[in-house]
Amino acid sequence: MAVEVVKKNYLFGGGWKSWTPVFLLLPGFGLYLLIAFGPSLATAGYSLTDATGVRGAPVNWIGFDNYDEFLFRGLASRDNIAALNRTLIFSFLVTTVQFSLGLGLALLLNQRLKGRTFFRTLFFLPVILGVVIQGLMWKLFLLPNGGPVSEVFGLFGIQSEFLGGQPSEAFLWVIVVQIWANVGITMVIFLAGMQTIDEDLYEAARIDGAGGWNLFRNITWPQLTPAINTNFLLNIIGSLQAWQLFLVLIGYKNGTQVLGYEIFAQGFGQTGGVSAAFRQGFAAAASIVLFVLVLVLGLSANWFVNRREKKYLG
Amino acid sequence: MKIVGHEPVINLTFVSRRPIFLRALPIDRGWFSYKERNKSMKKIFNIRLLAVLLAMSMVAAACGGDDGSSETTAAGSTETTEAGTTDTTAAPVDDVTLSVLIHSQEPMTSFVQTFSRNFEESHPGVTVDVSVVSADDLATVTQTRLSANDIDVIDMFGFANPVQPYMGGATPPAWQTLIDAGLLLDITDEPWVANYDEPSIEQAGSFDGRVYSVNLGRTVYGGMFVNNDLLAEVGVDIPTTWSELVSVCEAVKAAGNECMTTGGADGWPVFVGAYGLLGSLYPDQAGLVEGLYTGTVKWDDESTLELWSRYQTYAQDMLESGVTGLGHDAATFRYAAGDVAFLPTGAWQAPNLEGEADFDWTYVPFPGSDNAADNQYLFGKYDQGWSIAANSPNVELAKEYVGAFSDPANYQAFVDETGFIPTQPTATLETTLGQAINPLLENYRVGYEQFWLDPAGAGQWANGGQGASWFQPFNEWDDPVALAMQAQADLQAALDALS
Repeated sequence: MAVEVVKKNYLFGGGWKSWTPVFLLLPGFGLYLLIAFGPSLATAGYSLTDATGVRGAPVNWIGFDNYDEFLFRGLASRDNIAALNRTLIFSFLVTTVQFSLGLGLALLLNQRLKGRTFFRTLFFLPVILGVVIQGLMWKLFLLPNGGPVSEVFGLFGIQSEFLGGQPSEAFLWVIVVQIWANVGITMVIFLAGMQTIDEDLYEAARIDGAGGWNLFRNITWPQLTPAINTNFLLNIIGSLQAWQLFLVLIGYKNGTQVLGYEIFAQGFGQTGGVSAAFRQGFAAAASIVLFVLVLVLGLSANWFVNRREKKYLG
Repeated sequence: MKIVGHEPVINLTFVSRRPIFLRALPIDRGWFSYKERNKSMKKIFNIRLLAVLLAMSMVAAACGGDDGSSETTAAGSTETTEAGTTDTTAAPVDDVTLSVLIHSQEPMTSFVQTFSRNFEESHPGVTVDVSVVSADDLATVTQTRLSANDIDVIDMFGFANPVQPYMGGATPPAWQTLIDAGLLLDITDEPWVANYDEPSIEQAGSFDGRVYSVNLGRTVYGGMFVNNDLLAEVGVDIPTTWSELVSVCEAVKAAGNECMTTGGADGWPVFVGAYGLLGSLYPDQAGLVEGLYTGTVKWDDESTLELWSRYQTYAQDMLESGVTGLGHDAATFRYAAGDVAFLPTGAWQAPNLEGEADFDWTYVPFPGSDNAADNQYLFGKYDQGWSIAANSPNVELAKEYVGAFSDPANYQAFVDETGFIPTQPTATLETTLGQAINPLLENYRVGYEQFWLDPAGAGQWANGGQGASWFQPFNEWDDPVALAMQAQADLQAALDALS
């Protein structure tokens, strides 16, 4: 009887009051429609036009011409596909290294070490800095003449032009900065996950003679499943959409653009020329391509993590 | 008390790790009782409601209350606020704010701010709000503020590159889109337009026979600053041909100095520094662009291969090492140190050099050809100009502002301060730079950058005018022939798609 009462009156009560959660959700849903879904739909529409974003300028319906240009026309399509590949490489490297490094740091800083709070703060600190600050800091670190990294490299006889040099090298340094800037949040999510693991499990396993690797493999790793899944998805989607560091660290330079930067540059006349046009219709088409990429990879990753969750947590 | 039918949601272990404000919530031996849970939910709801209201009020505060000065730079804001406060006290009813947008480039920025202050003094009740943005952001901010009717007078930068008939489907430049959209005021009939010389009005202010901008100055980018003292110390003369330049660089370096420096970290100074090289090999720059579009010139022609080879020499042998980390302005200060012979860049850096360098310097055309007669041209562009927003609520005041700026006395002061090559026939440039280039001005020509537009579908290497910045250490190329062929292929693919 008591159970019945509790169930019926839980939080909002029965009858029309049970609709309260729906009403409470409506403003949020409305906001979502207004600032997320609406613009997304408009982007899809824009991608079929030659819109410039200039108020009063004519907007013409050009069908799939932007997609045709982006994917097939001239050798610009080669560069666009290269930007797409670069985005995937960037995402793969950032996800794997950031994930592994974040896990390693979390394991280390979950121990009873002296000064661990200091180190946790230290590794998390870059996360709270803005992209511009992060970029400017690393531009100074990576000065080829007299920068601290250059000095350290010099001790080993290594010379580098860093961000101003060859595209592949500049690209790698952006990956390094991206990981540095975000590994803190990965670490914190793992730390939070580790702290929910029941200490009794470790104690019981140790009594049974389990060592460090076995404890990690059989307790920590499976029990971390929600944190692993969260980090995996966040890292993939975040790195696919990251481009601001490219803007701050390198600028629009041949051989370094990722798709997100290409979208910004095309849409806002930042492709290098003094009179570069605003091609927001074209940029919208590129955005849709990026959206499809994120969707496919995001759904695949989601399927993978769901399967993993079922395997470990039932 | 345990609630039947409910799983425990919070235990003591978790509570100990909760944020401190949640620890105040009632806990009965690790479990919420039903009543306590309701109380807690209400408290949490209240806290969240407060947080939401606080956030909403912050958003409202951030979005609202824009008095026109919120987007200005620190310098611009201070200026506006001070002047605005004074005017508000004096004549609150008549207050008008004139919004002016310029790009950041000293000493031009300071001059505009001083001029605006004087304009305020001579126009009681008027506040001039000068917004300063970086040159890279100017086009974006212009477009957004014009679209929002949030600007009156605009620094129009890069009024060039109209689509030519032979360009087929090239995308029109941003300024042309603004005119097509009716966002720039037609100023053809304004009396002060006549203060400027006809070529500048025609080449850097007109579209379809109507005038939309008055240009404030030509600038030269096809030359280089020369450290006369250093050359004298080494015992060499100013080079007038490419071969001489190569020899002088070798001599300068052998004497323990550097030949050239540039702002490699910004990318563009590398290829802008080589525009003179391109110009001396192709003095007819408009013809070069037309030839590339129509196929009479190819980037990988035998005659053009020499250009790529010299680009490589410039990038790898003449520029000092380490410039990939040097910004454009920093390069000028680096040059002012005195141990670099040449600074190949735009003459707009002259005012900075005048203040910093304590050696004798001059500015000469880049000697890119072995025929000295081809090296006599000064290639450049029209720099910034004033345009007026067509939908400005202060159109008459905006005209008055630009008109005052165009007054010959004010314009001469502007030229004196900035070192721009005048576009008003009555003005003269009397600075060190003026003395260097005045005799050469009859050979002034608009450069390649003002004619080139990428055809739709062009690959990233199609604009060979930027080729100098694609060689190592600035980019990946090390073979001039291979790069020339790639540049032509990237262009040709787009031209083929057009036809």
